[in-house]
Amino acid sequence: MNDLMWIDIIAYVLQFMLIAIAVVVVLQKNNSTIVLLVVAFSLVVSGLYVINHAPDVAIAEVAIGAAIIPLIYVISISRQREFIVLDRAMDDFIISNNDFTGIGYVLLKRFTDYYHLELNICNDPGLCSWEAGPDKVICEKTNVDLIVSRDEEKGVYQLKGKESSLLMTKLAQMAEDYDDIEVHTFTERGFGE
Amino acid sequence: MNPVLTFIVVLIGLYGLATSKNIIKSVFCVTIIESGVILLFLNFANYEGGAIPIVSEDVAAIVDPLPHALMITTIVIGSAVTALALIICIKVFHHYGSTEWAQILRREDVK
Repeated sequence: MNDLMWIDIIAYVLQFMLIAIAVVVVLQKNNSTIVLLVVAFSLVVSGLYVINHAPDVAIAEVAIGAAIIPLIYVISISRQREFIVLDRAMDDFIISNNDFTGIGYVLLKRFTDYYHLELNICNDPGLCSWEAGPDKVICEKTNVDLIVSRDEEKGVYQLKGKESSLLMTKLAQMAEDYDDIEVHTFTERGFGE
Repeated sequence: MNPVLTFIVVLIGLYGLATSKNIIKSVFCVTIIESGVILLFLNFANYEGGAIPIVSEDVAAIVDPLPHALMITTIVIGSAVTALALIICIKVFHHYGSTEWAQILRREDVK
């Protein structure tokens, strides 16, 4: 009988914590804090599962709810701010004097700071060489957001991205000040084509 | 454990879903609702004096393990749904430059 009372007290404490954590999650505004609160919520809930005579469900909840789901959240929150640029021009447009001081880099940095994005310049030789295919194919097959290339005939640098992205409209506005920079957009293939 | 408590948890989740300003926070609230539903099912299967459904001497006394199996499936599917929702959230951010509901709905091309 004494054991039963202890279980009742633990159950009441866990129930109170469950409601409290749920209310704090709803009222909290910072996403990073919510990730930690969801871990605590999963652990409290798994304790309640054990009290309900379901230790098998509690194991699954601890493994998935308290470990894998927060991992997914952390990855997605960090990847969300990434803006990947593929540099196919391979000259001093972005990298001059072995440093990120080129005129194109200054423009892109200003653009990404406006949207609080994190600029990630990719110059992977496999994708940047001309054997990899035309820009449009690369843009469709990989998840790069922008491709920088050089048009030798006109002597201008071209920034190419997907037409559906509204960020490209803003980039086109910012590039108007530069004479040797053009912004192009690709029309994406719709469904059923 | 009271069924009313699980109902309160589901209501808190619904309130958060209705009032949250950020897409990521809405996905969190779906997780809370899911936990409330799982607790309700386990509560129905449980009874006073029942035994844990792992091989025990008195087979007649164990609680019904069928809802437990269903709820493990729910947890796994819930994690998959969360991952899918967050992928869509990343795509929305790269399209509209924001994950706030109000700023996305203010765009003219959404209407």
